[in-house]
Amino acid sequence: MTAPRPSDSRGRVLAELSVPSEPGNERRAMEVVADVIKDVGLEGQRLERLKTAVAEATLNAMEHGNHYRAELPVLIEVSASDTQLSVKITDEGSGPSAFHSETPDIEAKLEGMQTPRGWGLFLIKNMVDDMEVTGDEHHHTVELMLHLDGQAEGGN
Amino acid sequence: MAVRHLEAEVRQERGVAVLDLTGEINGFAQEALDAAYSEAESNDPEAILLNFEGVDYINSTGIALIVSLLARARASKRRLLACNLSEHYVEIFEITRLSDFISVLPDEESAIAEASVS
Repeated sequence: MTAPRPSDSRGRVLAELSVPSEPGNERRAMEVVADVIKDVGLEGQRLERLKTAVAEATLNAMEHGNHYRAELPVLIEVSASDTQLSVKITDEGSGPSAFHSETPDIEAKLEGMQTPRGWGLFLIKNMVDDMEVTGDEHHHTVELMLHLDGQAEGGN
Repeated sequence: MAVRHLEAEVRQERGVAVLDLTGEINGFAQEALDAAYSEAESNDPEAILLNFEGVDYINSTGIALIVSLLARARASKRRLLACNLSEHYVEIFEITRLSDFISVLPDEESAIAEASVS
């Protein structure tokens, strides 16, 4: 993990880290990010939601981007300004992002019309204020964003 | 951080099969969860209670495993209940609509009572 440094308009980079693409490492990523942002003021349910979003984006990057090849890292950059917290999660996949594009419908899943899986993107979208998926021939990046202004109103 | 593989124990409580779950519900949990559910089904209970008291992490693959258990329960017309979920995972059960099909109760006592009156 690197020391904080100035960043672009999104604010100051708090940390850059990488995790090997091995099953279970999404939780490690989640806990490291939570530790990095402990002074940002995110608490309670909003912190738990961000942790879940980080875990799900990392899980997707390891599984679909890097195909669980341990030598391919998932890179995570955490940055913050006065008004926004950003976590960028980058894998080494190519082509379109491999998020399951079908909106999960539990009734369809229970009737066997959809696979039981496919919750990752849906969870992320419900856990953060904004998200953006970008990519090129060699990488996919998912950026998770939380507004920091006004979050003190109930912590939700 | 080492993965805490799921452990699942089955016991009977006033006619309800209770699955005491400890660890993480993720891709590693499928075998333990399926085996415990099969053991719980073996006595043909009307209701099965998933006790999440020892669970501190559920990911999207874990949600899929719970959906699969729910599908099994519905196929055999068995009621599925859950208790001792943290506030965060109660929210996730609501967002995914698992809570439309699984009765979510705060603790085991209230879950057993709920299973008994229905």
